[in-house]
Amino acid sequence: MSGPKPDILWSPHHVDRYVICDSELSLYRIESLGSTEAKAGAVPLSEETAATLLAINSDTPYMKCVAWYPKHEPECLLAVGQANGRVVLTSLGQSHNSKCKELMGKEFVPKHARQCNTLAWNPVDSNWLAAGLDKHRADFSVLIWDISSKFTPEASVPAEKIRLSSGDTDSGVVVTKPLYELGQNDACLSLCWLPRDQKLLLAGMHRNLAIFDLRNTSQKMFVNTKAIQGVTVDPYFHDRVASFFEGQVAIWDLRKFEKPVLTLSEQPKPLTKVAWCPTRTGLLATLMRDSDVVRLYDMQHTPTPIGDETEPTIIERCVQPCETIIGSFAWHPSAQNRMVVVSPNRGMTDFTVFERISLAWSSGTSLVWACGRHLYECSEECGAGAAAAAERDVATKMRERAQSRYGHDTVQVWKNHVLAGGNDPQLKSLWYTLHYILHDHHRYYIIQCFPYFFGNKQPLLYSGIKNIVKSSTSGTTESRRCWSGSERPAEVVRYLSEERGLALQLCGWIRCGPDINVEPFLKSLEQEGEWERAAAVALFNLDIRRAIQILHKGASFDKGDLNLNVVAMALSGYTDEKSSLWREMCSSLRLQLSNPYLCVMFAFLTSEPGAYDGVLYESRVAVRDRVAFACMFLSDSQLPRYIDKLTNEMKEAGNLEGILLTGLTKDGVDLMESYVDRTGDVQTASFCMLKGSSGEVLKDPRVQCWIENYRNLLDAWSFWHKRAEFDIHRSKLDPSSKPLAQVFVSCNFCGKSISYSCSSMPHQGRGFSQYGVSGSPTKSKVTSCPGCRKPLPRCALCLMNMGTPVSSCPGTGKSDEKVDLSKDKKLAQFNNWFTWCHNCRHGGHAGHMLNWFSDHSECPVSACTCRCMQLDTTGNLVPSDSS
Amino acid sequence: MDLHILDHRLKVTSICKDGLVVFTHPLIKLIFLRNRTRCKFFSLTETPENYTVVLDEEGFKELPPSEHLLVEDSTWLPLNVVSNGHASSSSQAVGVTKIAKSVIAPLAEQHVSVFMLSTYQTDFILVREKDLSVVIRTLEEEFNIYREVGGECVPFRSQDIRNGFQKNGKEAKITVHPVLSPLNKFLVMSLDPDTLPAIATTLIDVLFYSSSQKDGSHSNQDLDCIKFFSFSLIDGYISIVMDTEAQRQFPANLLFTSSSQELWRMVRIGGQPLGFDECGIVAQISQPLADSDISAYYISTFSFDHALVPEEDIDSVISLLQQQRHDPSQV
Repeated sequence: MSGPKPDILWSPHHVDRYVICDSELSLYRIESLGSTEAKAGAVPLSEETAATLLAINSDTPYMKCVAWYPKHEPECLLAVGQANGRVVLTSLGQSHNSKCKELMGKEFVPKHARQCNTLAWNPVDSNWLAAGLDKHRADFSVLIWDISSKFTPEASVPAEKIRLSSGDTDSGVVVTKPLYELGQNDACLSLCWLPRDQKLLLAGMHRNLAIFDLRNTSQKMFVNTKAIQGVTVDPYFHDRVASFFEGQVAIWDLRKFEKPVLTLSEQPKPLTKVAWCPTRTGLLATLMRDSDVVRLYDMQHTPTPIGDETEPTIIERCVQPCETIIGSFAWHPSAQNRMVVVSPNRGMTDFTVFERISLAWSSGTSLVWACGRHLYECSEECGAGAAAAAERDVATKMRERAQSRYGHDTVQVWKNHVLAGGNDPQLKSLWYTLHYILHDHHRYYIIQCFPYFFGNKQPLLYSGIKNIVKSSTSGTTESRRCWSGSERPAEVVRYLSEERGLALQLCGWIRCGPDINVEPFLKSLEQEGEWERAAAVALFNLDIRRAIQILHKGASFDKGDLNLNVVAMALSGYTDEKSSLWREMCSSLRLQLSNPYLCVMFAFLTSEPGAYDGVLYESRVAVRDRVAFACMFLSDSQLPRYIDKLTNEMKEAGNLEGILLTGLTKDGVDLMESYVDRTGDVQTASFCMLKGSSGEVLKDPRVQCWIENYRNLLDAWSFWHKRAEFDIHRSKLDPSSKPLAQVFVSCNFCGKSISYSCSSMPHQGRGFSQYGVSGSPTKSKVTSCPGCRKPLPRCALCLMNMGTPVSSCPGTGKSDEKVDLSKDKKLAQFNNWFTWCHNCRHGGHAGHMLNWFSDHSECPVSACTCRCMQLDTTGNLVPSDSS
Repeated sequence: MDLHILDHRLKVTSICKDGLVVFTHPLIKLIFLRNRTRCKFFSLTETPENYTVVLDEEGFKELPPSEHLLVEDSTWLPLNVVSNGHASSSSQAVGVTKIAKSVIAPLAEQHVSVFMLSTYQTDFILVREKDLSVVIRTLEEEFNIYREVGGECVPFRSQDIRNGFQKNGKEAKITVHPVLSPLNKFLVMSLDPDTLPAIATTLIDVLFYSSSQKDGSHSNQDLDCIKFFSFSLIDGYISIVMDTEAQRQFPANLLFTSSSQELWRMVRIGGQPLGFDECGIVAQISQPLADSDISAYYISTFSFDHALVPEEDIDSVISLLQQQRHDPSQV
């Protein structure tokens, strides 16, 4: 900091004061701009703060280092180390403290003049001031002065001729006898007192770091290193010390002082300052010469090094407090992460290092992030209503759906969308699609009508309309049908084939079977109040009267839309006259209809035969309806093109309605992938793909990933029962996922596996159920090892041999057993199982053990004090879902 | 005690007085522009005969070859004794006296030629690189020997030296050299390198124009006083040895010295130029000083050796040395 390079020091006790020292000492007070009007002469430091110059002290020339007295009083006492090795006490501003006056101007003079490199006040005994000096052949380089000592000529060696240059000996303010002298014939470049003990001093000497113990000055601990500059103790971890040499910082652990615990990456230019942040643990700031950034090392996550090899992880980053080159910086002693930096030309900037933000999602909906000492939690607001429900986080939705057994209805597959809440049109479409695909009657019909579909290994059944349309082999017949109820032949051409019929079935327009009557579908739509859609479907089936009738019905229905009557009227005016006013008006005005189905009805009526873009590309119309329409009215050449185009659109958008087209094929997985990417809903993806249960698809790594993630998610929510249910469900649909037996029980005497021996020796005629694990209490009891016939161990509670089914537990009365036999049966399977403590090796029936430990902590075996259940870390967890 | 073999490879050269003009530029560069050269070890000593320049190889590259430049062929390595904080003997004496018995005498016994260079900060013992193995063998019992490599101290053992232990077996007759004690009083001083520019003009004046000045004002003292001025800049540390006459020309408060402002008298050793091969010269001076516990600085130059002793001890030192001269068996 010699010459033009300024340094900066914060007052240890007055949080708003600091000193800039270059050729003189300048005391500044920092104020926030908000509280006071900007005073004349105040230097702005940041947008909020400004500094006012309070005092200047230029009494001490040739300053080399400065240290601020660490105690409250006297407040502005500074020790200045000079180029000639003298240490002078000085102060800034007025102080009326008598102690301060007494100390002011006091000088501490080494025997041989040389540069004073560093000063350090003892933080406990503040009378002690350590000074580190350059090398002299005959003198000590670490001198500890007692600032309260008086000049005593007799104390100095009489042989020495005292010829102090100027006549300052008389004033009694010159001290030449240090309290301690250390480091003979050596140079001291940096010093700091160790907080471990008041009398321990760490010094960066020439080529070594030394710890001096003032209780025994002849001893020192030292380590040879070149990293000897700027020794500084971590204020939060008193055994951790940083020092540097040129561009490299070494971090030391004083308990293991032989070599640095780690060295930080070397910088291209020498460092000028290294300082631990006083307000935050493990944050080290370093400044390189001629640099405009302060480099920060965050050792927050440093694990305690176990072996020599563990290299702790540190996070390195740079902050740029100002535009100019930084001369020096100083952390604020108490304000969090705040520092003032000073440029070589004395420009000052007040700066707060922004804390790295760490963020974590919970497995639920909440989000937590930490910034500095603040922890922010953000959780979802649960609004009411359907709109709010749809907007909720997918984690909330999945949790609720898991609770409502979403995905588990394998009989009425479409019902799963109701379990999912019934408000998501995409899910509705998906589950209906799956329902149509998986419907038993449907299957049966398909197998009968399209035996060739099953020639391939992968049944066409799952492959979606896209493949069905492509595989079209039977001839397509064209028919010009008349408008029903009208004699005029219609111009529209309708195409028919077996595949098209199958597609219509999958779209849900017609029932399975040879019947192509659309009436049942219309009835069901009417029941659900989907008037417009029903009318459109009727119209597409060329039954304009039915359409009008439906619209009337819709208008007259309770709370019906009266406008439907108007639409019906418009519809009844239909004419196929090309140039009629009706046509002209309808084709232009239809776009103003808000309901997409009404809109496409007029589009259909006003379009040229074979050109139905107005219907096919109306994206608000459900995919299944558009596809059904296409299957009716597009030619063999147009249809696959349209279906391909629509499929790609769906895949890109991740729209689950597209599953109708792709089926549960690779294409379907692609589509599901973009759906999961968009929503994160691995639950739907898992259940849907399990339903498909074609081996190829299930083996897809993406599918496995969704399934595993969903299982992990259930675990994370503590939904263990749901997890188990899901696993059972999964193993039914995908037998390859069934886990292998993981637990075997072997006989104490012969060592053979009890369960294994039965399955491997079927000739003995004993199924596993005979060992009581089937849960039927009336089954025969097998209480001995099938291999050696020795008895199985006894349950510690009922004292019956294992293999004996559990008698009803004391907690569950007989009535329960009868009322809920199926539940009890399931439970019994587990209750009969063997269980034992890995520690004391006592055990018995699982049901008995569970009961026992519900109100005991020690092992049921008398005289055994093992706390079995507490040793079992998972035994104490409580699931969040009710079984 | 530790002995450090420093990371410098040095050349000992001499510039004759007439040829100084050729070297003015490189010398000024080496002294004042330390950021412009990679020289880390530089010492310039003016004696009436010549200028002795000791510098490392980087610095040596700066000197242009010239008929006025004499170079000792060997490469020299500086050794430095580090007490390492272990309480040293109760002796108050410092400098070459402190190491006389432990380093100088054993080396003299092994006929190792040494070149001493005392500075304000420390004492450097220069030995020839080829003698290193002998030096290590001789001193490893007494010292922990470290070699400084790139700023780190590496323990150094004699096994590290390839050529084995060759005893410098030349049994040379010990010559006791005449000593001369000029009347000037000397100061050993230091300076903050940052303030070096402040004394630059004075320093240039003293170093390069001393002869002209001397001719004018000090001709009558020629017999009793000696022109001696030494400046060294080693590892960033400045050390200056000058007489009180020269000191008067410098600003008062910039140069550091001991708070006691002690003054030193010189003992010049040798009547004829000593050369570099003779051993035991330092020993024959330092030994009696050590016996009497008298502090000393010792500065070897190209032609003669110089010891500085406290002014109050000069008489006893001279008598000691005279006595030794008459009775060389004491050595």
